[in-house]
Amino acid sequence: MVTCTGCALLCDDIEIVVENGRIKEIRNACRRGTSRMKGCVNRLIPSIYQKPSDIDSAIRKAAEILKSAKSPMLFGFSNSTCEAQVRGIGLARKLNAMIDDTSSFCQGMLIEKVLQKKFRTCSLEDARNRADVLIYWGSDAQDSQPRHLSRFSYFPRGESRQRGYEEDRIAIAIDVRESNTAKICKGHFYRIPLKGDREFILALIDALSGKVPSYDTKKILELAGILKKAEFGMVFAGIGLTYSIKEDTGVLLTLGDLLPNFHIMPMVGHYNMRGFNESLFRETGFVNRVKFNGNVIHEDKYSILEILKEKRTDALLVIGADPLLSLPGTVVKHLSAIPVICIDPCTTLTSKIAAVTIPCAVSGVESDGTAVRMDGEVIKLSKVVENNYASDEIILNRLMEAV
Amino acid sequence: MGMDLGRFIKSPDFEIRITTYRDIFQVEALEHDRFGEEYKKLSAAITMSKSDLGKMGLKSGDRVRLTSNSGSVVVEVKESKRDEPGGIAFMVNSPWSNAIISGETGGKGIPEFKNIAAKISLAKEEITPLEKLVPGMQA
Amino acid sequence: MLTVMELYQLLPKTNCKKCGESTCMAFAVALLSRKRKVPECTPLLEENFKKQREKLEALLLPTAGAEETGLIVHTELCTGCGNCVVACPVDVANDPKGAAIGRAPSNDKVIFKVVEGKVVASNIKECRRFGKSKVLCYACIDPCPTGAIEFV
Repeated sequence: MVTCTGCALLCDDIEIVVENGRIKEIRNACRRGTSRMKGCVNRLIPSIYQKPSDIDSAIRKAAEILKSAKSPMLFGFSNSTCEAQVRGIGLARKLNAMIDDTSSFCQGMLIEKVLQKKFRTCSLEDARNRADVLIYWGSDAQDSQPRHLSRFSYFPRGESRQRGYEEDRIAIAIDVRESNTAKICKGHFYRIPLKGDREFILALIDALSGKVPSYDTKKILELAGILKKAEFGMVFAGIGLTYSIKEDTGVLLTLGDLLPNFHIMPMVGHYNMRGFNESLFRETGFVNRVKFNGNVIHEDKYSILEILKEKRTDALLVIGADPLLSLPGTVVKHLSAIPVICIDPCTTLTSKIAAVTIPCAVSGVESDGTAVRMDGEVIKLSKVVENNYASDEIILNRLMEAV
Repeated sequence: MGMDLGRFIKSPDFEIRITTYRDIFQVEALEHDRFGEEYKKLSAAITMSKSDLGKMGLKSGDRVRLTSNSGSVVVEVKESKRDEPGGIAFMVNSPWSNAIISGETGGKGIPEFKNIAAKISLAKEEITPLEKLVPGMQA
Repeated sequence: MLTVMELYQLLPKTNCKKCGESTCMAFAVALLSRKRKVPECTPLLEENFKKQREKLEALLLPTAGAEETGLIVHTELCTGCGNCVVACPVDVANDPKGAAIGRAPSNDKVIFKVVEGKVVASNIKECRRFGKSKVLCYACIDPCPTGAIEFV
């Protein structure tokens, strides 16, 4: 059995048939996981200033760029193993660099609250065995964590949920869009306006505290009734919710206080985003947006977005991420003005403008290690295909020696 | 043809709100080949309700220009297969939606991926190619 | 799910009998059970029926690979989420330690498995819709958000 690195569910029941050093067939993984493990058509090659090179020279050049930079930054890590992430944090420390990951503009805020134990949470196995009321809030798990409902929440039989989902569980979707997940929650889909999450939470807080909610009264009272009766409830908080309430997580905490049987789980996309958050949290007390200078400084201005927008880095190492693809066009303009070092298995938009490119193995397929599932469980990754690509951990080790 | 020309001469602007989302088929295309036609086809698109399309005189398959304070991009318009109440248009996260998303965050590091104000109008131009969206990228 | 009426509404409704069926409704029934093909209705080939013909073909085409029992997986719509694997009562009964609790099937007695990111059906004779005490079960259809499973 192999672990899938398609998303942060890290499904560890995958069968892979390998023939002549290539994946021939993948069983049990969803469409998303299958595409991730089968990999891309355009593998990255080592290059310096867009001219083909060899790995050794590329690593030397990368070290030179990072050493001579005044304010270097390391970014990415959500698609790296825990071992590589720890190396990356070590490298940032040695360089007195800034370090951030994709959680900075994703679920970092909620994961931080979970690690600070401000939210009640539980494992996915607890959810499967015990949960009777499941709320997908601003989360389309069907498309982003496709096996979430079938492995851990709505559909499977659990220790205290033996009779099947129609009788034992209620799935609820709160979203601005009738997503694929919302379609499954038919009858319990609450459509809210854009940015309407906060108002919805406040109305729900009213209803749960015995007041008449001012907003959509009938539906809110009905929902509050379902939530009050829950024996073991789950709020699967998606980025729809996070983006909408932003730093105002207080309303979510208040809602949590009124629902003592509920557990909050941030829905994570990239397979090891939570791993990075946990590693950095262990070492610094923060989940992202850190600058090392002998000490540790954590400020919003060290987020990848603010750094690029304010042009406050003069060398950027990107590992397992593609900021040119995933960040607003106006923000990423600065990337073409500074030397970028790109470590990735594949050619990316960012690698096309990079000063140095260093190809690495596809983790969980061509290299092993560990990763942290969205609920905090540590899962082993395996190497299923033998080839010459170095793991990102090895590349970071070599960079560490060279700087 | 005469009728089509008429559509362009008028080509009024409409104000819309766009929110981004993720789609498993587009993610699959991304993992396979982010420079490929499939990824472009599934990314360079905006989906709206039938009633919204009707109000704007647009039909599925039309190319439209989306313009915000941050940028401008040409994509294909699609009619939602869902029963949408209207009022919100949808785009998947990609360089095409990122072209019109503001970098303004109030210093908090998170862009407004879910709430984009833009103008939409019928466009004659081709869908904006990826290379044009990415500063400094060679084809 | 596709119905006879949906198909009938797209036919010329002239009962011309050119297809060999006595009425357009009879032809619609034959289309739904995949006994007849759209081009066998020759009036549909005329230009003024182009839109209706395309719509009919779009409705019927992907089902070309129907199992003899009538179960069709539209693989192009399937996300491989496995909801059907876990929700199917036959899978639950035949694999209580695997499919029933959300894990990958642990034996070959299940109806649904996911291969290459898409669901594949086998052991269809086990399906509750067939056999002596058949019931009209929707356990694999209801949990599918993309409409990838259909019985014809």
